[in-house]
Amino acid sequence: MDYVMANGDGEGVVVVDDSRTDAVFRSHANSHRDKLIIDTDPGIDDTMAIFMAFQSPELEILGLTTIFGNTSTENATYNALRLCEFAGCSGIPVAEGSAAPLKGGIPRVADFVHGSDGVGNTYLPPAKAKKSEKSASEFLVEKVSEYPGEVSILALGPLTNLALAIKRDSSFASKVKRLVILGGAFFALGNVNPAAEANIYGDPEAADVVFTSGANIAVVGINITTQVMFTDDDLLELKQSKGKYSKIISEMCEFYRDWHVKSDGVHGVFLHDPVSFVALVRPDLFTYKKGVVRVETQGICTGHTLLDQGLKKWNSSNPWTEYSPVSVAWTVNVKGVLDYIRKLLMKP
Amino acid sequence: MAAQPKKIIIDTDPGIDDAMAIFVALRSPEVEVIGLTTIYGNVYTTLATRNALHLLEVAGRTDIPVAEGSHVSITNGTKLRIAGFVHGADGLGNQNFPPPKGKPIEQSAADFLIEQAKLYPGKVTVVALGPLTNIALAIQRDPAFAKNIGQIVLLGGAFLVNGNVNPASEANIFGDPDSADIVFTSGADVVAVGINVTHQVVFTDADREKLSRSDGKFAQYLCKILDVYFSYHHDAYNIKGVYLHDPATMLAAVDPSLMTYTEGVVRVQTSGITKGLTILYNKQKRFGEVTEWTDKPTVKVAVTADAPALVKLVMERLMDS
Repeated sequence: MDYVMANGDGEGVVVVDDSRTDAVFRSHANSHRDKLIIDTDPGIDDTMAIFMAFQSPELEILGLTTIFGNTSTENATYNALRLCEFAGCSGIPVAEGSAAPLKGGIPRVADFVHGSDGVGNTYLPPAKAKKSEKSASEFLVEKVSEYPGEVSILALGPLTNLALAIKRDSSFASKVKRLVILGGAFFALGNVNPAAEANIYGDPEAADVVFTSGANIAVVGINITTQVMFTDDDLLELKQSKGKYSKIISEMCEFYRDWHVKSDGVHGVFLHDPVSFVALVRPDLFTYKKGVVRVETQGICTGHTLLDQGLKKWNSSNPWTEYSPVSVAWTVNVKGVLDYIRKLLMKP
Repeated sequence: MAAQPKKIIIDTDPGIDDAMAIFVALRSPEVEVIGLTTIYGNVYTTLATRNALHLLEVAGRTDIPVAEGSHVSITNGTKLRIAGFVHGADGLGNQNFPPPKGKPIEQSAADFLIEQAKLYPGKVTVVALGPLTNIALAIQRDPAFAKNIGQIVLLGGAFLVNGNVNPASEANIFGDPDSADIVFTSGADVVAVGINVTHQVVFTDADREKLSRSDGKFAQYLCKILDVYFSYHHDAYNIKGVYLHDPATMLAAVDPSLMTYTEGVVRVQTSGITKGLTILYNKQKRFGEVTEWTDKPTVKVAVTADAPALVKLVMERLMDS
């Protein structure tokens, strides 16, 4: 059965409902919409980014793939399904990702940041839709092969699923249109420990595979995202707005905001995932430094992301030489990004 | 009455900028050089000792003892990284100076450091210009060393910038990361000057020209050996000048007010692709979990330098010699 998802512009989005397999979210109105897959661990700020994507008619969301991080992979899948259903987009396939990092073991889960349910203890109603029968990496490989050079990926959690897709299909990296990654701390303190940022720390081996894969990558680190926050006043404005999702987001943000006061002494919330979403749709609001990025996978600095800025000509080879450069977000137009986020989140 | 000059021991791997730093120290009334200890880095330790003795003979200061340091890293590593391509095969710009007449003292560098620190507790500053093996050995051999030593002013690390051996690591720390981590977490009064600061202190072609016109003995000597160092910088960094790593660090010991500092815990990565990476945690942020930086002693890390004043002081002291 086909049905129509109404969005803010009144422009209908037609969904092919096919719950047996992965439904493809197709637009009859505009076949040139940018295809997007969001790899996510919802997650409070993930929820904000996902809802922003739902409010962007220029995007065709092929699916969500899930990963551990802010919560377990299983719970991330559960949350992703509930968010889609809450938004009236239950036709969007949700493919479950890896339950553990590449090297195995128990993943690190930041429930102290996002609440025991991963979405600020708001306990959304259960979803009727089921997850896809495909794994996240299968789904990624399939969609990217189906539309080579057309699919962008927004990766908001540890990079296990992306690494698995790269290992599964050697042409995957070259076929992805653009991969925007939230991760790393470039020439800045981490947020798990002084050396490492949480998404990269969650699976450093996977991150190193992805950064050295040769894909067209833009990475947004916490050196950028911690410049962009919603203050208590912004959160109040959001709560009182007519935004389609502003009420649920405001509720979720209460837990998230209290953690920020404890951890960073700031009265507000950092907008890590929403900022990364903006980097995907409005790359012009950032400047970038191009260079090879490697990730440390051992010792006390495990998870450290290190960019060769190219300031020196090395006299011998080192672990950075001979890999393809990626674009590392270097500066951000804070006002421009905040305005963009506000506009989308307050959109009725 | 003027304050007593500060007693300093220079731990060094000469090295062209080491030679500059040693000469600057010898012309600085604020400090009294009570010894040189040697280490590998710019050259192997044996050659560092020979060069240290040679430089003291050039300066007419053979009264200053030279104690030879470790030939291997603290983990007994013999695969050392030697930067002959920066300083010349002889470490002093390939000038083939005659061998020195003097000899090092019998004591090892670590034992000399321990003894002097015990002799003048709280009064001796070590200015460490190479890998930190000797200092770490002193800390391991004498549990009181970290307390007895007045201060350790070291050239090392790349704080929030790329390294100079590879993107992660600065040469002195890379030379012996295990020793560096021991020194940073020893509880001693440590001041670290990283290449994030010394890269601001550039000695230009014009400065060199000015130096060559002076009659100063040290100025004349240095102008002979600087060629190799200038060509390396031109090739590697595409700049017409050289970084004054060691002289800037020396001056931080002579006059600490030439730099500003932050305080925090520094740890060194000792394995992996980022071996030698220095990470400073200055306690701006609280972490949800206990980390490898938690509850470790803090050190001071230079964050800014008055570069024009530093270059001017180096020039003045080398020309007035």
